[in-house]
Amino acid sequence: MKFADFIRLQAIKVDLVAEDKDSAIRELVAGLVESGDVAEGEQEGIIKAIMKREELGSTGIGRGVAVPHTKHPSVSQLIGTVGVSAEGVDFNSLDGEKVQLFFLLVSPPDRPGDHLRALENISRRLRDDTFCRFLKQAKTAEDVRQLLEEADNNQFGT
Amino acid sequence: MFLIDSIILIIGILLLVGIASSKLSARLGIPVLVLFLMLGMAAGSEGVGGIEFEDYRLAHGIGTLALAMILFDGGLSTSLTAIRAVWKPALLLATWGVLVTAVITGVAAAWILGIPLLEGLLLGSIVGSTDAAAVFAVLRSRGVSLPRRIADVLEVESASNDPMAIFLTVGCIEVALGNVEIGLGFVGLFVSQMLIGAVCGILGGLAAGWVVNRIELDASGMYPVLISAFCLLTFGLAAKFGGSGFLAVYLAGVVIGNRPLVFRHGIRRFHDAIAWLSQIVMFVVLGLLCFPSRLADVGVRALLISTVLVLVARPLAVLLSTFPFRFTGRELAFMSWVGLKGAVPITLATFPLMLATPEHPLHAPLLFDVVFFIVVVSLAVEGTSLAAVSRWLGLERPRDPEPPVKLEINSLRHVNGEVVDYAVGKDSRAAGRLVKDLALPEGAVIALVARGDQIIPPQGNTRIHAGDHVILVLRLGMQPLVNQVFGSESKTRGSIPEMLEFPLRASTTIAELQEFYEIQVTAPPESTLAEVISREVDGGMSVLETSVRVGPLVLRALRLDSDGHIDMVGMSIRSENEEVAQAPV
Repeated sequence: MKFADFIRLQAIKVDLVAEDKDSAIRELVAGLVESGDVAEGEQEGIIKAIMKREELGSTGIGRGVAVPHTKHPSVSQLIGTVGVSAEGVDFNSLDGEKVQLFFLLVSPPDRPGDHLRALENISRRLRDDTFCRFLKQAKTAEDVRQLLEEADNNQFGT
Repeated sequence: MFLIDSIILIIGILLLVGIASSKLSARLGIPVLVLFLMLGMAAGSEGVGGIEFEDYRLAHGIGTLALAMILFDGGLSTSLTAIRAVWKPALLLATWGVLVTAVITGVAAAWILGIPLLEGLLLGSIVGSTDAAAVFAVLRSRGVSLPRRIADVLEVESASNDPMAIFLTVGCIEVALGNVEIGLGFVGLFVSQMLIGAVCGILGGLAAGWVVNRIELDASGMYPVLISAFCLLTFGLAAKFGGSGFLAVYLAGVVIGNRPLVFRHGIRRFHDAIAWLSQIVMFVVLGLLCFPSRLADVGVRALLISTVLVLVARPLAVLLSTFPFRFTGRELAFMSWVGLKGAVPITLATFPLMLATPEHPLHAPLLFDVVFFIVVVSLAVEGTSLAAVSRWLGLERPRDPEPPVKLEINSLRHVNGEVVDYAVGKDSRAAGRLVKDLALPEGAVIALVARGDQIIPPQGNTRIHAGDHVILVLRLGMQPLVNQVFGSESKTRGSIPEMLEFPLRASTTIAELQEFYEIQVTAPPESTLAEVISREVDGGMSVLETSVRVGPLVLRALRLDSDGHIDMVGMSIRSENEEVAQAPV
């Protein structure tokens, strides 16, 4: 599965202002509302579902990256967005580092396969240090789009 | 004074002098067995003791019994892992190697002594096997410390090669006496010796273990006797059915020694003592049997045969037995040098004396004297120089620090705990840390720390140093986790490929996981991830080395809490094609 299949380019936020976990997730979901991928009335439900997943263990997977994700019936297909925070957000990551790069995923309940494939794709791509570093340095949504496209075309190491 | 009174007095004196001489052994660098033998010779009719003793039957009887007890004790202290690791080269050495040694030495002896070839081969067979008593005594003494594998090969070889030598000796005598033709019957004799001996030994060991753990005796002192009884029973039954009793008791010892046993330490101590008593008695008796004046007569010729045996026959036998396995030249050289002879050849040399007939004298007295000479040379030259040779070949290992104390707990019933002694090496993860920071699992407590001559009652603020011995009381099954705590730093989990993992609380249930990932799992939904992983932990592995595949997810313990329970679980996602790509790595 490629990034292009689920990342909503209009929702990408490279200038997150949030300083804590909750507001970072709110900001990212708000982006999906602005891009029209999530109905405004579902916003709170999705945030709640994401926080519920965070209770099992932080999705901060270390090295300044977090991948908050959940299932929610309001979406009809897998959608995702990317967020970048210059300052970093405290996300209770295992390695204690602040998170600068976010991938947020919401998937419909009836498509578990897609959900896992997307997560697998993200975690595999993020193993590439260069890819990670470039994304964290992205200044515009266009920068992020280009990097994702290059990754989709296997232009990074892995 | 009755005769038995004098005998008791003499035995007492001889044992005392024997033990006293063992104190000299380290100082003089002579194996203690040589000293025992010399003591016997000194006490004999030509020495200061003037004891007349020329009863070969009695000597043979004492030798056999003593050897059985020594082999049994050797088996008790041989770990199954050692046997599993080295049984192939050891078995080849114990069979094929003995044959090669016997034939080469035999041909040379026939030529040197000017006796018929068959009698030469008889002599070769008698000295064909390495001696378990001698090898154990020398290798396990404080002087020599060897790489584990070499020591294991030599020990297992020496314990299992006596049947081959006995069979060759008896075979040669039977053929020389005209009782047996060389042919199929000859081979059958060997196969039945080995097979029946092995089967009796293993069954005897299993039976002993079963009975000891269930019988619940009131007097703990009876447990070692019970084990001894099984040892004798095993030997007797094996011999009765035509098998090798020596092989049988050794295997029985291995089986018993590798099972959890009621009153284990007591049993081991007792048989260790019996083995020492056997060593002294056997070598002193064999020394009594020898006449130094007759040794002088055969000296030059026997020395020649010894030379062939040590410098040609044994090295060739080692080479021809071990070529399929990877040993370095130095290791081969050392194994060749440890062709120690001992009580077995002398005991075997009494066979021709007992079985010779007027029509077939077999040169029995000559053979006996030559064999005796060869054994003394082997023990004196090879035995004495072993430590130096291992150093010279660069095979010597630094000794593990010996604990100044030993904690012994004897259970009279089966209990679910154990006491384990950890030697803290320099690279141990525990070295330099405070006891309270060790993250010992629940169910493991440090009983004491032994450092040098000191015993330190452990407290949270006690620092563990490299070189310490830490003695722990453990609940059964805790050992893998504790091994992790005391294991070496270098064995940390570097081998796992770098994967991005989602950390999950270990108390997360399968049901919760399913809610988010819709995975197909066989585990009950209410079980936690910690339980799922713990269930998969394999005997020797630690929980930190275990990973569980749950559909496309891979779970493994990421972190343990201070009680040793899994605290965090790492979840990674594998796709099918990725696994294929990673396989060669």
